[in-house]
Amino acid sequence: MTTEESKNMCLRIAGLAEKAMAGNRGSFQELIIMLQEDIYRLAYYRTFSQMDAEDITQEVFVQAYKKIKTLHDPQRFRAWLYTIAVNRCNDFLRKKKYLFLLQSRSAQEQEFGEAGTMNNDYTDTIAKKKFWEQVRLLLDKFSAMERQVFTLRFMDHRNINEIATILGKNESTIKTHLYRALNKAREESLFFQEYRESIS
Amino acid sequence: MRKHNDEHLLHEQIIWAVVDEKELSEGDQLHLMGCQLCQGRVSQFMAELQVFGERAKLSVPPLTKVLQMPAPERSTAKYRYSWIPFAGAAAMAGLVLFFYFLGMDATSPKLITVQGPEDLLEDEYLMQEISEMVEYPLPEEMYEITGEALDFDDDFLQFVVPDFQENSQS
Repeated sequence: MTTEESKNMCLRIAGLAEKAMAGNRGSFQELIIMLQEDIYRLAYYRTFSQMDAEDITQEVFVQAYKKIKTLHDPQRFRAWLYTIAVNRCNDFLRKKKYLFLLQSRSAQEQEFGEAGTMNNDYTDTIAKKKFWEQVRLLLDKFSAMERQVFTLRFMDHRNINEIATILGKNESTIKTHLYRALNKAREESLFFQEYRESIS
Repeated sequence: MRKHNDEHLLHEQIIWAVVDEKELSEGDQLHLMGCQLCQGRVSQFMAELQVFGERAKLSVPPLTKVLQMPAPERSTAKYRYSWIPFAGAAAMAGLVLFFYFLGMDATSPKLITVQGPEDLLEDEYLMQEISEMVEYPLPEEMYEITGEALDFDDDFLQFVVPDFQENSQS
């Protein structure tokens, strides 16, 4: 997406958010269509489960619809929605931690089992499975805050200013956490092997 | 930290350049602008991060659930304030009932005025009843047994129980 396209999209989202704040259901429906994939991916990057990510996405939009009148600036709708989504995911992961002992299989195993039955392209499924295993290995090296910042910056493609708004921190803190996360990623992850070789 | 501007950026500075170029010192920024090698390193790291992000996006299973539009909220301004008159009326009715049953009489000015003639008469009857009960505490049948209820004259009593003095003279 070019800068111009991105700017136009931001303006469109702000316009729709303004109408939705005035009670226009149609505008909110359009916002759902525009942003559901982004929110779903955000949830998936944190839960690694299709089913859970879908449920969280639905809950995020329900909550956003109920609370939309508390939004002061329609231009901040996207960041506000991401805040709801991140908080929802954190709640979900916290609950899941307590229920972990009751589960026979991890969400990840379940997820790939489901994906395998749905998708006949076995090689593709295996490749994806390996990819997510590597992602989990990488994210496990980070602290909670580093993980949030890294995921929002390089997987959700949010800029520093937006991340600061979403997480309610100042930009300097975000940059520090991002620096630490990148330092760990550069040192250990397979994803950045070429870069490591180029500087050694 | 680098000692001279002609030295290449260190790993840490390359990472800072990826995070935000403005975080580098002025000298480092100048070096980065003029150094192909350092620019290449920064670009390569950024490109790998970009590829990582894109791959993540492509590896997410498609969204299969159709999201339901949340049910419409009834919280329009009209609805929000229409309950006020009803609540006011209910509160008033509640107050009226409360005073009626629990304390209206106590707070009414009727009690602080002098008692009416009917009340005085009732009080008098009550006092009479109390006096009678004090005087005759037993039921009427009991008095017949004891003989208190019979009206004997003095001659009859004299006949039944003569005086001691009269008996001794005769």
